[in-house]
This record gives sequence, structure tokens and C-alpha cells, in this order.
Amino acid sequence: MDVTEAQIIAALLEFFDRKDATDEDFDRLALRIFAYQFENNQPYRRFAAARGRTPLSIRNWRDIPAVPIDAFKDLTLSCRPTEEIAHVFMTSGTTRGGQRGRSYHPTLAVYDRSMILNFRQRFMQGLDRIRMGILFPDEQAMPNSSLAHYLALARRECGTPDSEGFIDGAGLATARLLAALAHAEARGEPYALLGASYSFVHLLDALQRQGRRFALPPGSRILDTGGFKGQSRELAADEFYDALSAALGVPRDRCINMYGMTELSTQFYDWGNETCPPVKSGPHWIRTRVVNPLTGQDLPAGETGVLVHHDLAHFNSVSAILTEDAGIVVPGGFRLLGRVDGADSKGCSVAVEEFLKAARG
Amino acid sequence: MTEFAGHLPGLSAGEVEWKTLHFGAWGEAAEIRVPVLSEAQAAALAGRVRDNARTYLKTLRVAEITAIIDQAIARLLDRNDPWRQKVERLLPIVTGYDAEMIRLGLTGYLKTFRQPQLKRFLAEDFADPQILDDFQPRPKGGFAKAFGPDLLLHVWAGNVPGLPLWSLISGLLVKAGSIGKVATAEPLLAGWFARILAEIDPRLGECLAVVWWKGGDEAGERVWLAQADAIVAYGGNDALKAIRDRAPVTARYLPHGHKIGFGMVARAALDTRKAGALARRAAYDVMRYDQQGCYSPQMLFVERGGRVSPREFSAYVGHELASFARKHPRRALAIEEAAGVASWRGAQELRAFSGDRDLLGDSADSWSIVHVEDAQALAPSGLNRTLSIVAVDRLDDVVGLVAPFRSFLQSAGIAAEPEELFRLAGLLGQVGVTRICALGSMTAPEAGWHNDGRFNLLDLVTMTEIEHAAEAAADGFAPYVD
Repeated sequence: MDVTEAQIIAALLEFFDRKDATDEDFDRLALRIFAYQFENNQPYRRFAAARGRTPLSIRNWRDIPAVPIDAFKDLTLSCRPTEEIAHVFMTSGTTRGGQRGRSYHPTLAVYDRSMILNFRQRFMQGLDRIRMGILFPDEQAMPNSSLAHYLALARRECGTPDSEGFIDGAGLATARLLAALAHAEARGEPYALLGASYSFVHLLDALQRQGRRFALPPGSRILDTGGFKGQSRELAADEFYDALSAALGVPRDRCINMYGMTELSTQFYDWGNETCPPVKSGPHWIRTRVVNPLTGQDLPAGETGVLVHHDLAHFNSVSAILTEDAGIVVPGGFRLLGRVDGADSKGCSVAVEEFLKAARG
Repeated sequence: MTEFAGHLPGLSAGEVEWKTLHFGAWGEAAEIRVPVLSEAQAAALAGRVRDNARTYLKTLRVAEITAIIDQAIARLLDRNDPWRQKVERLLPIVTGYDAEMIRLGLTGYLKTFRQPQLKRFLAEDFADPQILDDFQPRPKGGFAKAFGPDLLLHVWAGNVPGLPLWSLISGLLVKAGSIGKVATAEPLLAGWFARILAEIDPRLGECLAVVWWKGGDEAGERVWLAQADAIVAYGGNDALKAIRDRAPVTARYLPHGHKIGFGMVARAALDTRKAGALARRAAYDVMRYDQQGCYSPQMLFVERGGRVSPREFSAYVGHELASFARKHPRRALAIEEAAGVASWRGAQELRAFSGDRDLLGDSADSWSIVHVEDAQALAPSGLNRTLSIVAVDRLDDVVGLVAPFRSFLQSAGIAAEPEELFRLAGLLGQVGVTRICALGSMTAPEAGWHNDGRFNLLDLVTMTEIEHAAEAAADGFAPYVD
């Protein structure tokens, strides 16, 4: 009998709450969701079938074919017909000539539950609520941004009522933000700053211009995500966290980087950036493989390859994603080693990225 | 294995700071030390090279210079020479290319710099190369002499072995003092060549230096740029723009950007007797330096209507690439490159669902072809032996498919009957193609080619003209005047 969407959702929500999920449990649910996606997501079905992978032919989640992340730009990857889809998250379109990858969510119940459970554990770390400053536009300004939604959710579920957003139409509201930081410093209550990595650089630059620095109270924390994306100066990781720590008085082990993507419904975190690159990991419903990008085969632990994420929570689209991120498996998770997209040629032939850039003008 | 890169006349190894670059391939490792000069050392070295070139190189006659270059090239061609042996031992480790591919490629390339070929090179740009030595009479009247820049800065890029020799030799022929910056990806050959020249003629060796700085290092670069009278630079457009923005406005700037090569096969070439050999030549161009050269083909347009269909021709090329994969294995790819190939393949695979294309070669193979039945615009492949083969009704259609990319065009390999060759060359030249060659020769430009369609020597010089009237007027002041 065909599995219905409602059954998949129910199974996922139940699985999220399991404290004792085994490898076998993950495998079982992964295969069930693969069967559902194979049945209902036609482009993915063709992709999998072309590789000889069908629900009948595989037994292990590692054999479920991973779709290159670029495919979200070319293909409509959704089990539910898209006209019935309530929520569409889109990538920012900073690569590939502005084409945007899309993720279709018939409901946000699964995304939200996945996010909150994980966020509470990894960022809140036992606190019920904390005063938040958000360095990213809100959902009204960016209705298709998964990060805007993520941050709104964080604020709604875990922020105090006096939490604020500091990005408006004119960019970073520096004066208001510095006042909030000064206030937090004076009150002696922990404060959390969350937002895009590049917005933190804008903050650092503003602080430097004004010769200001803060010592936020103990228990304060920072969450940055997404890298600099050409929106700010590029800083090396150590330089970035040293500067944050020095400017805001938040120790590096309280500076947490969230690694997420529009094409997933679950995020990864580290336990602070005392040393870089830190070990990243996610909850029990997402797993990561490191593969040779050419063959898609798993690499032995300790070898650098390209990351494949298998996110059960991304049930309506495709759960297995071949990213453009290099990484290495280590005990407790993986280390992220940067992007592998747009490799320049080693010689003098033009490679795709430069060509596209010129074509965009 | 440790090797010092560069050539720093007037500086001893002990005075200089060295940075170690690590390379490994084919089960061997090499440590290459590249010089990191202080600003003062750089400025002094540039001054020295400029002075030496002025007092020595500029006094040599072109014929003497070509003779010295010829001797140096002879040593690099001689497989018993220690320099050549070093080249054959180290370049495969540093660049990762198959040793046999490098050996054959270098020999073919170096042959284009023997004395007769250098003469051809000169003759391509100068009706009378002696114009570099003395004032020569001009058809319009008067006399002219060509002067190279005092200090020519070369900024090299990429790992294709030998490419730096092209501009380095151009600089020597026009008697310019040269400072060359080697690429991190292949920091050796240019420095070795300079040292061989120094062995043959020590004074000439003091007229050029081979240095290194980290690509994009603004501070390191500025001191060199400030010294240069002319700059020849290779690289991607971003890198070239950065150099242009920092170079003195008075310096002549000759950029060579990354390029994309392509091939065209006419139906006349597609009979069952010829197509196999032709496919082998096309595959050879793809295999050579794993498509890292500006002249390397990344797309092949094949005309319908021949005895052999475009799809069959794709299969032939695939067969040949598979055979080259055994004979000259692809170098081990860095993770970014492997991801680049995978991403290209992945994209083709997805598009294949629409039915206009199919992939040849398994994802585990070290080559891939996508055969496309619908005409499509020129686009880079994933490099490293990945190729798009596009079927077209008429080769004329190709002109429109490549025209939008003028700034990236350079080499086109054509297999067609003579009349067709010339007709197509006219159309392609109009949209920016600067080199038409045979398939199988795409990666081996002939001696004296005009790289990127420019006059590589003429672009370096300035002419000093003695007007006819000056000569006539001087007559009036001669001691023998009546």
C-alpha cells in the first residue's frame, strides 16, 4: 500500500522525539521516505532510476542516490504538486547567473519542529528564553528566505519579548544595535546575537569606526551563518571569531556557527569556535557522508571529500543532497573545509564559473 | 626532493627568505622553495635588471640573442642533459601531468624555439628584424629602429608546462630586461631556463630575474608593478583586472585572459574511413594537459549528413579517450576539480532527462562526453577530459553559437575541405576566433603564432623614427657639406 504524506509526517515527528534511535531505525525510515519520494517526485525518480537505484534494489540509506544541489535550480523537486505548496524557500541566487534553487514545503510543521528541537539543544543549551538581536531581514522583507524564517522561529520560540531585529531597509541599524548592546551590558543579562556572517562583519566595522567595544554579560552567545557571500570583507575564520570575541566580549567557545541550506530542513551546529574548523554535527534525523564527487562512493574516514547530507526531515523534496562543500569525517561529526564550487582551471582554459560570470555581465 | 625556484641575479640564497611549496603526485613528493623578496630587495633587483639590460642586452644583436636562446633550448631538448632530466623528473610531480605527456609535449613545444623558428617568429612581426639592431630605411622615407621596454614584467599563471617561455623569449628578442613571476602551480621551468641562459652567457643571465609572490598579494605585487615599463599578464579576468587597476597608467599592459577552444567537424570529414583517425586527433587535443590550455577544446560541433553521424562520431571520440586514459592517465584531481567535473556531469545527467542528450563514459572513468542533439551555445565543459559534442545541421550555425563569447575565443580546430576551411575561417575570424588549426594540433601552436591574435613582439616595442627631413637637414651640417 502506498505511503501517504500524512503517514510520513507522523513518522517523522515521532522519530524526532526518539531518544534511542538506532542505525536500523534510521535506515528503516530513510528507505520508507526514499520509497515515498521515488513514488511521488518524478524528476527524482528518473534520476534514481538512471542510476539503477530503486526502493526495491537498495537496503541501506547510504545507497539512496544524492541529487547535486544545483539540481534544485533546474528541476522541480517536490512530491506534492507545486500548486498545492504553501511555502517555497529559495536560495539567494548568488551563483549560476541568478538562478535560484527552490525547496517546496507543503507544511512547515516538520521544518519548524526539526529546527526548534535542534536549536534548543545546540544554541539555547538549557536556557528557556534569551534576549535576541537579529542581524538579518525579517520574513516580511524576505518571504522566501529559509534563514529569515529560521531566525523568526528562533525569536518567537526562544527569544524574550524585547528581542529585536536590526536589519531594515537601510541595512544595519547601527545606532539602535549599539544601544541594545550597551543596555544588555548594563543590565548584566545574557544576550544573543544571531544573523548572517557578513552582517557581523558590518557590525565589527561599525564598532571599529567608532572605537567601541562591549563586554556582554556571561552566558551571552553568538550565532553566525552563511559566510560572507561577497557582502562584506572576507575574513579567515580565526580572524573573524577573534574579532567578534574582542569586540563583544563573547568567548569563542560561545560563538556558534550554524551550517544550513535552503535545500535542507535541518541544520548543523558546532559547539563553539574555540578552534577552527570546528566539528559540526546535527540531530539523529540527519546524517552526513563524505564522498568522492566523481563516483559518489563513500571515502574512508579521514579523507577529504564532498559532503552528502541525508536529511529525513526534507521529506517532500529529496532527502539526499550532494553539496558543493568539502569536508572530512571526524569522531562526533565532520569538519567543513570550504566550498568546492567554481574551481578555476589550473591552467589558462576558462572554467565554468568565470564564463558564467562574464555572461552575467 | 627539494628544489629552489627562481633566478635572482646579484642575490645569494642566504640573503633571501624562502617559502616552501609542497607538491605530490604519482607517489612522489617534492618541496619547492620559492623566494619571498623584501620590498627593498625587489626594488634593487628590478633596478639591477634594468641597468644590466641597458648596458648589455641592448648592445647584443638579435642574431646573437637567438643563438644563445637556441643553445639553451638545445639543452632542454637533450634528454641526456641534467637540466632536461630535472624537468622530466620534477614537472610530473609538480603539475601532476602524466610524465610521458609532459615529455612529448615539451619536446614539441621547445622545438618551436630553435633558431630557425625564432627567425620565423621575428619575421612574423618585423618585415626586417634588423630594425631591432639598427635604424633601417622605411618605405615612406626616413629610418626607424624598434626599442623594447627597459623593464618588462611577466605575470604567469597556471600549470601548463612551458607557457612562461613564450613571453620570456619574446622579451629577450626585443632586448627587454625581464622580471617574471612564476605561478604557484608550476614555479620551476622559467627559473631553470633563466639559469641555463646564465650558464651560457652570464652577463645575459643578469638581464632577467624570475621571482615569486603569492597571486593577489597586493603589497607584494605593487613594488614590481611600479617598476615595469610593460606588463604581460596571464590569468582569469578578475586577476587581470586587479593587475590593471594597480599598474602605473604609463605602463603598457598586455593581458592574456583564459580562453575556451572548440572544434568543428564537417560532414566531408565524416566518412567511415577517415572518421576514426579524426576522432583520435580530437581526443588527443582533449587529453593533452587535461584541457588546461587556453587552446584546449571543450566543445566539438559535428555536422549532420555525413556517412558517420554525430552520435557515432561521439562514440568514436569516447573510444579514443578511453584508450588515452590508459596510455596517458589523467592527473589526480584536487577535490575542487573533481567536484567541478562531477557538477558538470551531474548537470548533463539531469538535462538528459529531456531527451536531447546522452552521456558517454561512466562516472568512475577519467573522461566524459555528453552528446547533444539540439544545437547549443558554446559553454565550458567540466575540464579534465570532459567534452560536449554538439550535432549541428550546418557548420555555419556554429558561428552564431560562439559569437556571444568573443572575449573568450581563441583557437578553433577544423576538419573540413579546403574551400569550406577558408569560408568558415572568414566567418569565425569575424566573431573573434584568432587561430584556426587542424584537429590534433590544437595544443601545439606553430612557431611564430600570434597568441590571442596579437603581434607578440611588435606589441612590446616602440619605434623611434628619424624623419626624412631630419636626415636631409643633417646633411646640411655634415663636415663634407659643400
